[in-house]
Amino acid sequence: MTNAGHCIVFLLIIGLVSLAVVTAAQEEDMATVSAALAPRAEGLIIARCSVCHSPDLIAQQRLPRSRWEATVEKMKHWGAEISDGEADLLVRYLSARYHPGAPDHLPPLDCDLRKAEPFTQEPVAEGPLTGVAARGAGIFENNCQGCHGTGATGGMGPKLAKNPILKHEDLFWETVLHGRGPMPAWGSVLSHQDIADIHAWLVTR
Amino acid sequence: MTISRRSLFGLLLQGIGVTLIVNQRVPVAQAAGEEPAWNESGPLTVRVTRPFDAETPVREFIPFLTPNHRFFVRSHFGPPPAEALSEANWTLRVGGLVERSHEFTLKDVRQMEAVTITAVVQCSGNGRAFHRPKVPGVQWERGAVGNAEWTGVRLRDLLAKAGVQTGARHVQFQGADRPVVASVPLFTRSIPLEKALHPDTILAYEMNGRPLPLLHGAPLRVITPGWMADSCTKWLTEITVQAEESKGYYMQTAYRVPTTHGEPGAPASGPSTPVEAMVVKSLIAAPQEGETVKSGPVTIQGMAWSGEAKVVKVDVSIDEGKTWESARLVGEDRPYAWRQWQLVWKAKTAGTFTILCRATDARGDQQPATTPWNPSGFLWNGWDRVTVTVAA
Repeated sequence: MTNAGHCIVFLLIIGLVSLAVVTAAQEEDMATVSAALAPRAEGLIIARCSVCHSPDLIAQQRLPRSRWEATVEKMKHWGAEISDGEADLLVRYLSARYHPGAPDHLPPLDCDLRKAEPFTQEPVAEGPLTGVAARGAGIFENNCQGCHGTGATGGMGPKLAKNPILKHEDLFWETVLHGRGPMPAWGSVLSHQDIADIHAWLVTR
Repeated sequence: MTISRRSLFGLLLQGIGVTLIVNQRVPVAQAAGEEPAWNESGPLTVRVTRPFDAETPVREFIPFLTPNHRFFVRSHFGPPPAEALSEANWTLRVGGLVERSHEFTLKDVRQMEAVTITAVVQCSGNGRAFHRPKVPGVQWERGAVGNAEWTGVRLRDLLAKAGVQTGARHVQFQGADRPVVASVPLFTRSIPLEKALHPDTILAYEMNGRPLPLLHGAPLRVITPGWMADSCTKWLTEITVQAEESKGYYMQTAYRVPTTHGEPGAPASGPSTPVEAMVVKSLIAAPQEGETVKSGPVTIQGMAWSGEAKVVKVDVSIDEGKTWESARLVGEDRPYAWRQWQLVWKAKTAGTFTILCRATDARGDQQPATTPWNPSGFLWNGWDRVTVTVAA
């Protein structure tokens, strides 16, 4: 994928998101690459990798690209919900940020200093969004089921079926958007419509 | 009263003195330990927040026995729900190539003859962070090891009740811990029958005279003295006697080392063998890394151990290994425990000095300057190294 003297534009379309990254063919500036990929990659780490382990396990690795590829492949094989495009993005991000020459203590990412925002910028809702339960089932399965169990009956995370939090929508939204205790924040992963759909499905359980 | 797993986990962490940041959004990089965090202040240095992996700061190794709340913690999936391990619900099933499959309650186990063994338990990846090139995995430094008194029953007494059939060669252990996602392989391990029938291989329910803590495998954990902790299955619920080594990732792929040393950095290939016995190793517990000591006599102390032989010698060097001076072996001398050692160093000149130590066991095995590289970073036993400043 390198072609001396030329610039290559990668266009990654992942789910609802498209992200364009321009890199010089040779001499990839790793810090620039990792910073450019960070918002989406970090969202993926929280949404996919953190189902099983906290991100600190990732951040302590210093591996060449080949071993990151093998690692991401292993996790996919074990059931991490990562599409091919997402895997490619993760490998690019991880091998740019956590490569063998990276310092032991990396400075925090710029994006950590900003408040995470949903990728799909929606107009500020005039009121509560209308959730679509049928859609919520699939979104739940892909994002929440790992911790909250099949049918929201609980797992490592609490049972959500018939959970009183469903009646307190403000608390529900606060928890999903910003995280709570061991639960990560989903504000940069799920759109408001996604969250409304999940809520709509959960109340039917 | 019911207790959620989350609050249970919180209680657990409080119980071992770890403060978890709760009810607060933790950005990835902060959760990743990239900002100054809790690492150096608590009784344990946290490597992975979930599933919880933490090592003991080396200064805590000065006592002969490592206290339970400071003992390193490692598992692949974290503790199972406490309900599954309660006395009312927990049983140990023994099956496979046995005359009579048997189900033991905790009461049954406690009624059998109890034995106490002092043994070092060490993570196979202890020291992984020192391998170059770096290898994937939890980046353990020096403290994924500890020395404790383990009380329980001999595995062979238990197997005798079930009756081992001819043709049995391996004994498989399964704990109650489960991955979050069902497609992740279980942590299923086996040891050869010979090790299982060794009179010192036990199933422990006490650690340092206290009930085995949840993080250390309550109610029952395998202890294979002299062997690395990948054989010391926690939360044990199932023993299967079988003809073959266990199938699956954690036996056939992980916890193996190549039989011949390959090119550093090359992926695993060729024949390999399971990580079993510990290799000879020593650590400097005092002075500590970065400490400033006064010129004059400085007591250097630490511990040394080996898997299947006694430690007979510990040497200390202050000149990067050009010359070595033998330390004095002190304290308790028990077969599978570590041996403490001391050396009084006459620090005459001010400056920065690196103290090295290396142990030798009765078989003549001696710690190398660095351990041969292997793709998973197991069995690190390079010379231990502490840099101190001598003040005038």
